Amino acid sequence: MTHRCLAAVVLTVAIVTLVAVPASAQALAAAKATGAAPSWTPPRTPDGVPDLQGFWTNATSIPLERPKGLGAKEFYTDEEAAQREKAAQEQAERTVGGRQTEPGTTADVHYDLSQFGLARAQSKSAVSKRTSLIVGPDGQIPPLLPEAQKRQADRTAANRGHQFDGPENRGLSERCILWPNEGPPMLQAGYNSNLQIVQGPGYVAILQEMIHDVRIIPTDGRPHVPSNIRQWMGDSRGHWEGNTLVVDTTNFTGRTAFRGSSENLHVIERFTRTDDDNIVYEFTVEDPSTWAKPWSAQVPMTKTPGPVYEYACQEGNYGMANILSGARATERAAEEAAAKKN
Amino acid sequence: MRKGLSIVVAGAVLALAAAPVWAHHAFAQEFDEKKPITLRGTVTKWELINPHSWIHMDVKGADGKVINWMVEGGSPNNLFRLGFTKDSLPPGTEIVVDGYQAKDGAYRAVGKDLTFPDGKRLFMGGSAPGSHGESER
Repeated sequence: MTHRCLAAVVLTVAIVTLVAVPASAQALAAAKATGAAPSWTPPRTPDGVPDLQGFWTNATSIPLERPKGLGAKEFYTDEEAAQREKAAQEQAERTVGGRQTEPGTTADVHYDLSQFGLARAQSKSAVSKRTSLIVGPDGQIPPLLPEAQKRQADRTAANRGHQFDGPENRGLSERCILWPNEGPPMLQAGYNSNLQIVQGPGYVAILQEMIHDVRIIPTDGRPHVPSNIRQWMGDSRGHWEGNTLVVDTTNFTGRTAFRGSSENLHVIERFTRTDDDNIVYEFTVEDPSTWAKPWSAQVPMTKTPGPVYEYACQEGNYGMANILSGARATERAAEEAAAKKN
Repeated sequence: MRKGLSIVVAGAVLALAAAPVWAHHAFAQEFDEKKPITLRGTVTKWELINPHSWIHMDVKGADGKVINWMVEGGSPNNLFRLGFTKDSLPPGTEIVVDGYQAKDGAYRAVGKDLTFPDGKRLFMGGSAPGSHGESER
């Protein structure tokens, strides 16, 4: 194979995987598959259920969707994982401490993540030999159904020309209402991907650092709330299947829109502690108004030092006012320029 | 076989490199890429808040007039994990900020590069890849 051909393949893979997450050197250090010896017995809480409590991170270098060039390949071999680790290490060293963007460009208008310890290479990550978090031969989110595409297009059209009118026109993240990592299903945030699990009789609570929301999950067998009650993060009910916590979530709002989902989103999560330091977190999402078939992913979680720090997003969100005043300034400048012309 | 392996791995790693910068908001909506700015001055206050930290600093202009600027940076949570506290950047510290000014012309900027006058990075003292971001406390 020629170098040019190699470069083309590499470039293609890179382009089709823009949704991929940054590398973490640590994530690959051990390059071991998650999952432990089947003989391992998890500790129990005083109530006799498996003990999932503690501080965990779901940061990982594994992308949600598989790089297309990998086809149906679901796992790296040991050799590939080791090579990937080496390359990611080298990349991490370049990322931390160096400008990655061209001065004077939109992309350059940002603080340097590594200055604040937020580059992924600076945090602990969970490891896996998976090529994508999504399991199965596709490794991709199924395409949106036509009605889901229309839903998205309508929403975008309704906001067009009004994106900066007021805070209501801005996205949920900017408004500190909900971040896309929170789920369910829960995925890593761009940084601070830490969570704490606390258990009490009949309950499991999950605090996610980003953006400091707590999921309180009853495990006492009570039914879901009535269907006319809709919540940003849905309504979760848990139960135990052997050593696995299974959580069923419904009653989402239509505005939550996980990867284009509707209020009919249904999420099933499975938490299995595989050894002292690891939880395998699996989820299946289905929404007949959005995808033709359900899809599933497996996310490694690994122990991390606590505590989970507060992330009081709303209180310090000066950015919202600044964005809007920036938009007003831009409008004024455009008006003045137009007036000069006339 | 070896070449095949190289393609698989190189492709996957480049895919990682292609990831967009994750931010709480699009900074280019708040700051102007046509207004690059270098600020040299002394810290007056450090707001360790989320979603973004803000450094306030006094900067003396060419006319001798002192202006208090606000500089936007990242979430402070991992700085805590790396051992930084509110005392790590006391008022009076001399710093240099390279960044971009607010679109509305206010004395606000995003702090792209934060350094001491000798060029050392402001926050990343002993930290490097491999520190795992674990607390040193």
